[in-house]
Amino acid sequence: MTPVAGASSEPDVEAWAGAYAPELRRHLTRMLSSAADAEDVLQQVWITALENPPDAGPGSNVRAWLYRVATNRALDCLAAARRRRQALSRRDPRIATGEDTPVDAAAFALGEKARQKVRAHCAGLPRKQREAVWMRWVEGLDYASIAERLDSSADSARANVYQGMKRLRSELEDLWTKEYGA
Amino acid sequence: MSAQGCQVTEDQVLSYVTGDMAGTEELEMSEHLADCAACRDQAVDYRLLEVCLDQVTQGDAVRWSSFESPFGTMYVAATEAGLSWVSWRQPDDDALLEVLGKRFPGRPLVRDDAALADWRTQLSEYFAGERTSFDLPVDLQSLSDFERAVLEAARRIPYGEVIPYAEVARRIRKPRAMRAVGNALGHNPVAIVVPCHRVVRSDGKLGGYTGGTEYKRKLLAIEGRLDLLLAG
Repeated sequence: MTPVAGASSEPDVEAWAGAYAPELRRHLTRMLSSAADAEDVLQQVWITALENPPDAGPGSNVRAWLYRVATNRALDCLAAARRRRQALSRRDPRIATGEDTPVDAAAFALGEKARQKVRAHCAGLPRKQREAVWMRWVEGLDYASIAERLDSSADSARANVYQGMKRLRSELEDLWTKEYGA
Repeated sequence: MSAQGCQVTEDQVLSYVTGDMAGTEELEMSEHLADCAACRDQAVDYRLLEVCLDQVTQGDAVRWSSFESPFGTMYVAATEAGLSWVSWRQPDDDALLEVLGKRFPGRPLVRDDAALADWRTQLSEYFAGERTSFDLPVDLQSLSDFERAVLEAARRIPYGEVIPYAEVARRIRKPRAMRAVGNALGHNPVAIVVPCHRVVRSDGKLGGYTGGTEYKRKLLAIEGRLDLLLAG
């Protein structure tokens, strides 16, 4: 009996935890190589489920939803860790205090020099790629709306987003992988 | 594209992070990311890129809106720091986006009616003759020091009063820079709000106006200067 298609609108987080906690814990431990971090992320998954529950009606897939939240949270955790390592390598005094950095990729702030670099590379993208990336990643539009604004097809809107993101990733990689002088 | 021995492409990783995947495919990608360090690194890169874009773009965004005015469709745009564009010269949204794109290169342009609601209200009140000054921030940072000094001087000219170009030049302590003053006023990005229409020629003629002299005349008429209606 899977606790998926409950008739009640209340999210039965306890039942989900009972059914899926062990496999999610294994999944997160594999991603994070740390049982403690995995446990932290797992707690956040239940909090998210309580605050912003998935559609648990018939035909919905709570398990897939939980995996998505858990995986994205774990990616944020890894992203924060990478930023922390990078900051330590710069001997940033604020970071070197041993304080816990929240499990949140947003926990870092870009310096002005880094911002300028991001700006310059965004500006260097071909126009359609730049606009498509912006609309998808910042405005959160779907491809049909992007296509309408760019006067193209949804497939080509999506291709523009992907090409732009791939180019930015390769050009901006050193923002988080190497030292970036202040 | 992806790691050695891994069949998953970078596009698939990107599709997962972007939220384009669903159902079984998404679930399988979750599982794959737990096992494949190379794909995981890519996914983390994209999360970081997303955060970078978010930080840069939120602060950098130029927000714009439009409303109907007695002069036709009026476009207004603002940065975080304040109003940075007022114009009725663009025939449509595309023309506006092109102009703003040149003025604010590389910065995202977002339609945001709510962010500009107060400005739309104040400008409408001005057109109705119900407002004599604007009390919201203006951002002139994209201009040169000289242009900014000229516009700041013009901004202090009271409602309904006019002064000659030479007087503006004198007020910014560049008495011989009359032509440059005229140019700076002609490039005023926030017409009406910085009242460059209140700067006229010393011979009593109205002088030029980038939006068209008839608009200069109409603005001064709103401000009660019917005596200037016949000025050349």
